[in-house]
Amino acid sequence: MQPDDLSRHLAPILGDRLIAVEPFPETAGRVRFRREGALDLFRAMRDDLGFRHFSTVAGIDWVDHREAVYVLWSDDAKQYVLLSVDLPAGDPRIESASGIWPSANWHEREAWEMVDLNFDHHPDLRHLLMPDGYTFHPLLRSFKLHEPEELEVKARHV
Amino acid sequence: MSEMWINMGPQHPMTHGLWNLRVKLDGEIVVDVDPEIGYLHRGIEKISEDRHYNEVITLMDRCCYVAGFSWEHLYILAAEEALHLAPPERAEYLRVLCDEFQRIGSHLMWYAAFVQDIGLMSPFLYGMRDRDLVLDLYQSYTGARMTYEYMRVGGVRNDLPPGFSAEARQVLDWLSRRFDEYDQLTLGSDIFRKRCDNLGILKANDCVAHGVTGPMLRSAGVKRDLRKDRPYSAYDRVEFDVAVADGADVTARYLVRLEEMRQAVRILRQVLDWLDKNPGPVMAEELPRWLGAPYAPIGREGYLLKRNFPKGVGFSAVEEPHGEAVAYVVNEGGEHPYRVKFRSPVFSNISAARKYLIGYHVADIPPIMGSVDICIGEVDR
Repeated sequence: MQPDDLSRHLAPILGDRLIAVEPFPETAGRVRFRREGALDLFRAMRDDLGFRHFSTVAGIDWVDHREAVYVLWSDDAKQYVLLSVDLPAGDPRIESASGIWPSANWHEREAWEMVDLNFDHHPDLRHLLMPDGYTFHPLLRSFKLHEPEELEVKARHV
Repeated sequence: MSEMWINMGPQHPMTHGLWNLRVKLDGEIVVDVDPEIGYLHRGIEKISEDRHYNEVITLMDRCCYVAGFSWEHLYILAAEEALHLAPPERAEYLRVLCDEFQRIGSHLMWYAAFVQDIGLMSPFLYGMRDRDLVLDLYQSYTGARMTYEYMRVGGVRNDLPPGFSAEARQVLDWLSRRFDEYDQLTLGSDIFRKRCDNLGILKANDCVAHGVTGPMLRSAGVKRDLRKDRPYSAYDRVEFDVAVADGADVTARYLVRLEEMRQAVRILRQVLDWLDKNPGPVMAEELPRWLGAPYAPIGREGYLLKRNFPKGVGFSAVEEPHGEAVAYVVNEGGEHPYRVKFRSPVFSNISAARKYLIGYHVADIPPIMGSVDICIGEVDR
């Protein structure tokens, strides 16, 4: 599958919510889209294009905005594809993919607690690696290492 | 009887690492589970943002303590793509050599721990004995048995010592005779069959939907192996078969892992043949000195030589002994990666626990979770 194949299929579905499909080495391409098109894109990727394996979602803090990069795999094409979306730093919310791929559940929980991406309609958005009540987002650039943090860890199950 | 939540962990012989499996029981039957991880979270992704590209390799060994080579390889592939570097061919073969010995080492560790969960004591000793031979081999060319720090951005640290090939072939001959012995000890044992057959069933559809990969996925009959489907390093130049089974239960996962070890021996023989015939450099020559051979700088002096590579993004995926691992490395110039993201296969395999534990008995949990092959180091990172 080539970037052209992807954009030919996705352009009618997403319209102007699709920004571009760029080539990316050793993958089917990198789809850049606007967050309003998230659910339609996810559905098209899984049902029409055969990307049934949700590998992971990586959150990246670019200080002025944030980026979510979804990694999907297709057993038919034997290829990965990357989906990339820019989210404003003040309101980093996007529709959850866990209704489409159940495996997105934990990956989104991790992205939420680490990079502060908010996933709408996530079934179970609570802390995963960090203790409950942890208010920091460690993978934001504003979170500096080597500085003491004030933290009161609550017991999880009392 | 009323239902109740029980903590299996963080200290429990079943867990094989520091994590907590909360199970909701109705009598002896599991009605709900909630895996709880994070006890071993060290923030490896965050620490990497503050480290030189080659210093991240040290962290990768700690990421998974039974499959350090595979994680080094994963990171190296992504970092090389982000920095626009390519290793020499001999280094690629050496990396495959590391990966496959690692697969045997990791699966033997799994075998030893798993059969002990079932209640068979002597296979545990055989598994650990044979794993030691593999560890001796690592030690002969990396100097370490667990945390190797062997791969480098642009190649590997050093070549094999003289006489390594003959020694490695002896170990492979020994191992290939042992695998049948393992089968006799386990598949021939009634205890093993009674505790493993038709347990923890996870069918192909559920595996794919829940992101389960590796031997668990292949035990359900899905023939997905990144070494075959998306070859990296020298995997497109060696011959091997993808191990699959169709039982989708604990026994099937056992069969897949044993077959993978046999295939690893097959790959290693081909790799050793190639390495014997093709001497050459193991480090890319055009590397700037601070990234380059033979040893990467370890102290702060490495930071003094700033050299900005053109910006880039690296993406890599490898078939680790536990399944599909993915790395995403962002290079924004400068000496540190801007962001690294790792996808651990066991992370997703545990997240599907609801699908393969509910409905079974409490006493079935150790064999089922044992068959998942859990390494908490890479789950928590």
